[in-house]
Amino acid sequence: MASNNAIGYMLIEGTETQIRGAALITDMKGFPVDFVRTEPLRPDQLAKILYGESFGKFAKEKLVLESLLEAVETDPQLWICSDPDILLPLRNNSRIKTVLLEESPHVPLDAAGHIEATADPGVFLVQAEPNGNPLRAEFPAGIRPEEIQQTAAAITEAAETMNILEPFSRLEKALSFLATGRA
Amino acid sequence: MGLRDFFARRLTRRVKVYKIDDFSIEPPETLRAVSKPQTIHIKPEVPCSSSRVRDFDEVREKMKAHAEKLKLSGFKAKAQNVKIKRYVKEDIKTHHHSFTKKPKTFTMLKQIQALPQERGNKLKLMKKRPETGRGEVMLACYGPIVEGSVLKLVLNKQRGTLLVWYKAGSRQLKAKNVYLIRRLGLGEKPEWRWV
Repeated sequence: MASNNAIGYMLIEGTETQIRGAALITDMKGFPVDFVRTEPLRPDQLAKILYGESFGKFAKEKLVLESLLEAVETDPQLWICSDPDILLPLRNNSRIKTVLLEESPHVPLDAAGHIEATADPGVFLVQAEPNGNPLRAEFPAGIRPEEIQQTAAAITEAAETMNILEPFSRLEKALSFLATGRA
Repeated sequence: MGLRDFFARRLTRRVKVYKIDDFSIEPPETLRAVSKPQTIHIKPEVPCSSSRVRDFDEVREKMKAHAEKLKLSGFKAKAQNVKIKRYVKEDIKTHHHSFTKKPKTFTMLKQIQALPQERGNKLKLMKKRPETGRGEVMLACYGPIVEGSVLKLVLNKQRGTLLVWYKAGSRQLKAKNVYLIRRLGLGEKPEWRWV
């Protein structure tokens, strides 16, 4: 089901012993409309030997991410992630606008909605709210400039009614609770 | 030799020659000198499956029985010299390891809907603050919050954050900031004000 006013959050956490992920789709207030999480994936010693250090990346991209995308029932207008490993696979698998969003220490830009390119290719500063520091937005390689503009506009619009990064803390809490049994 | 032959040889130096018509000699028998060695398995049938070590007594018994069978004519197997390092119980099993099995997914919408959203105090970040009345002090600002959808607001005094629960199904989207304002004076309590 496609939804033009929903924001998707993808979080995949990996340690040496287990990898798990969750996808949260919220409306423009940040209220959850869909939430899917995976069971923990525990690589055994043989997998670690055969795949080496690349197993974590492989499991994130091919196993956890694809499972979550298959299970999600609501397609958001924008996927936001916090892990560079899944930025491009998320864009390619979902075919939905995707951005890696995080806080930045940069001084505020002129006004909400302003975008500024950085020295890093594919990385922009987006002033989502009128107050506070701009957000660091990293886009997958090869994205058209129009899509960057559209994504920045969607972030700014959502930031009028919600804290755009706040759902990640709920996802982290939910995953932490599932992993440890403690909130 | 007859008398005639005797005198013929002595006197005339002649020897009578007989013609033998049916002179036939059997061809010599040829035998192949290459021998074919006989191979005999001196290893008893001990299945091998895993690395589990088992009691060797049973193996020794099998070895003895097998050695008896090997006492063939002209050949005696030295089965007692065969050393068995490990005896294992079952047939070898192969295991298929699949590293591409995707993890199961679970939907937990109700549980995550019960979690509140958390808003930090952004008073310090604000370029412009709303005007306050005389004798009023602005303590904190939280937002954006959709006032019409709020189910419950709780101030987390330890962290200085505001926890927001929204009503499910509300379609309101008009967001505001909520300010915590305190009036100076004895007995005055902090007040929430939507702007």
